[in-house]
Amino acid sequence: MSKQNWRIILTSILVVLACFAFWHTFKLWTMSDTDKEALNERDPGALLTLQQKAIRLGLDLQGGIHVVLRVKMEELDKASREDAVERAIQIIRNRVDGLGVAEPVIQKQGNDRIIVDLPGYTDAERAEELIGQTALLEFKLLEVYDNATLILTKIDSVVHEYEKARTGTTDEDTVVAVEETEEAADSVAEGEEIDILTELMGDSAIDTADMFAFDEEVGLDENERPITSRLQMALYNNRKATNWPGFAAAKKDRELIDKWLNLPEVQSLIPIDVQFCWSTRPEIRNNREVYMLYLVKRKVQFLGKYLENIALGQDSYGGYVVNFALSGDGAAHFAQLTGANLDKPLAIVIDNKVESAPFINSKIRRRGQITMGGSASVKDARNMEIVLKAGALPAPVEIIEKNVVGATLGIDSIKKGFFSSLVGLSLVLLFIGVYYRLSGVIADVGLLFNIFFLLAVMAALGATLTMPGIAGIILTIGISVDSNILIFERIREELRTGKTVRASIDAGYTRAFVAIFDSHVTTLITAGALFLLGSGPIKGFAVTLFWGVTISLYTAYIITKQIFDIRKGYRTLSI
Amino acid sequence: MFRIIGQTNINFIGARKYAFVLSGALVIIGIIGFIMIVTGKANLGIDFAGGVMVTGHFDRTVTIEDLRSAVAAEFPNAEITNLKDFEKPNAFIIKTKRPETEAEGEQRLATLIKIIESSFAGNTFTLVSEHIIGPAVGETLRGDAQKAILLSLFGIVVYIWIRFDFRSGIAATIATFHDVLAVLGIFYLLGLEFDLLIITALLTLAGYSLTDTVVVFDRIRENLKKFRTKGEFANAVNSSINEVLSRTFNTSLTVLLVVGTLFFFGGEVLRYFSLALIFGVLVGTYSSIFVASPIVVEWEARRPKRFK
Repeated sequence: MSKQNWRIILTSILVVLACFAFWHTFKLWTMSDTDKEALNERDPGALLTLQQKAIRLGLDLQGGIHVVLRVKMEELDKASREDAVERAIQIIRNRVDGLGVAEPVIQKQGNDRIIVDLPGYTDAERAEELIGQTALLEFKLLEVYDNATLILTKIDSVVHEYEKARTGTTDEDTVVAVEETEEAADSVAEGEEIDILTELMGDSAIDTADMFAFDEEVGLDENERPITSRLQMALYNNRKATNWPGFAAAKKDRELIDKWLNLPEVQSLIPIDVQFCWSTRPEIRNNREVYMLYLVKRKVQFLGKYLENIALGQDSYGGYVVNFALSGDGAAHFAQLTGANLDKPLAIVIDNKVESAPFINSKIRRRGQITMGGSASVKDARNMEIVLKAGALPAPVEIIEKNVVGATLGIDSIKKGFFSSLVGLSLVLLFIGVYYRLSGVIADVGLLFNIFFLLAVMAALGATLTMPGIAGIILTIGISVDSNILIFERIREELRTGKTVRASIDAGYTRAFVAIFDSHVTTLITAGALFLLGSGPIKGFAVTLFWGVTISLYTAYIITKQIFDIRKGYRTLSI
Repeated sequence: MFRIIGQTNINFIGARKYAFVLSGALVIIGIIGFIMIVTGKANLGIDFAGGVMVTGHFDRTVTIEDLRSAVAAEFPNAEITNLKDFEKPNAFIIKTKRPETEAEGEQRLATLIKIIESSFAGNTFTLVSEHIIGPAVGETLRGDAQKAILLSLFGIVVYIWIRFDFRSGIAATIATFHDVLAVLGIFYLLGLEFDLLIITALLTLAGYSLTDTVVVFDRIRENLKKFRTKGEFANAVNSSINEVLSRTFNTSLTVLLVVGTLFFFGGEVLRYFSLALIFGVLVGTYSSIFVASPIVVEWEARRPKRFK
């Protein structure tokens, strides 16, 4: 196959890939606000997924919160300084998770700083509460299973009525969702084995298919069980062969279930002494990401501040354990608590989220051990360790940098950025088209390809578009056009020396290449330096500039040449 | 064929003495500005200096003077800008720089907001955005920005050295430094604020100016293969500049079209960023003609390079 054909095939493949990468962004950007609301109402998870797959907008464009925290090391003694930052991060992550922020960023910076970015979230007061407060670690008991199912069944009928009233009839989506859940339920059949080991037993497990809650026994149609059909029984004590109210819910269903549980008419069904709590993190069960929903008794049985010497370890079977000791005051109390509740789960609750609900295997006096479930990784165990430590030894933080950008300012910026990009682009397209005639139009086509590919790459990389990022795109336009100007000026020179049109085009492209290449590389060097050392918005600028310039080498040079090469013989050239 | 600049034969190299004087002056102002930035005496944005900033709008008309006198007691150095192109009228940005300690930032912000909200009875202030930047954060950012500039300039010298020769690398770097310093100097003279975005703009214009220089050098390299006799070096350089003049002009014009649009329609955030780029394009175009190539000519005159 000729070189020309290969190039056309390559370009076609790139176009298909770019369309694929850009699809979600296109869908999101063309969606009206009312459509978005409607989708959010129907299925909150879907909108979030769409936002995650589309080009992300920076704080400056969609509004949001950016906070830099400093862990006050000077208030901690030497021993507890060690992983103070990790502890604080873990706590913040627990709290931020579930806010409905599409792409929260929580990361360590330097030795004692933490960056928290909540794009799209503009409730500053709530966010500061979430970030600045000291972690509260509590131990609570779970409600018994029979009561939990009774409550959930009642809630089901209320929610069913509510949905019926809201949508008129049972809508299609609900049916589909239910079918999916059922399928998933079947695949859970072979459960995980649990290690029953030392003092406390670790993460619970789904055991056998007949454990699924709520089936036949309630005798209701799936559509009439909006919540329970989305839950799977997942907390089962092998030793005692008893069920406990810990249910697995698919990650995507969490927001929906939350919404239902928070309805006033549902809240009134939940007895005053219990509450529904989610697990702190999603976990993987049978290849699905699920959150656990527990029905926890509100009464605080024990406080995390009495824990000491929390350390990660391994038991004789190689499984991960978290060891802890109890301080003087706490020991007697904990012994009493564990002695009185043998074989029951004890929920470890941090900031009203359940880290885990291990079963109590024996009375614990001075030293205890939490055995992680058989499938737990070292990361899970480490998370548990950090959460316990954070509850026992909170890391005090202060805010040293804060940016809260209101959604209106963001929208204002994006309008201006978008508008000025469009105007700038049109002016350039017009200028090049008028100045270089038909050849200029070819350059314009290359330029449009450049911008399209750039947006697609940004979507594929999950890059964040910021205002400086838009500036980066605009500068890319300049660089891309420069390549074509170089080539066209060269072609004109070659034409003046009396060469044929074909020879002039080829010579123009060949001779201009060196200058184009060098100028692209030098811009890439700048972009690279900015990327390495820049932060936040500057990084966004560097990323768009880097990709814009890289892509421009292909679109302004190869694609435009391809277009010229479509015709073999030229008698005249419009340039 | 539509042409703005045709074939020219301007003696650019002959005018290099005047150019060196002008450039020297620009560079000196730039160096002064740079020293002021490093020592923190120049007009630094809150992202470098640290400080608090509030953006918001009032229901009813308020003038900058009203607002200034309202906050003057607590914040005598507050800078207030009227956001004219914001979608709501009576929108302002109020900035105060440099709280003494990091913890103070939070408090200062709260005080500032409280004063603004309570000073105009019956006129509600709606907060649109709030920013706090601790001075330590500003220092880190400033350090990073300086490192980024040095790193990219170093990378560029090495690249040009590899692609051309050592003296071209040096000449290109001088021209690039010249452009960055010139724009920095102009900004300093005009008393405009230096923030992270301006640094980004400076680095971008470094890239642009370099592109211009590289294009001219590339043409010189090509032409030197034709004119190998000694003594014609200056001529070869001069005709190279003339040959690519049309490209230089068109490219600069395109970039100006784009950054000009940004300047007029890009909003407050990008205004000074685009202004820096406008200066940058102008200075960069000038330097690729009057700075980089003449340096190579001077160098050649003193220590002629042997042609293989």
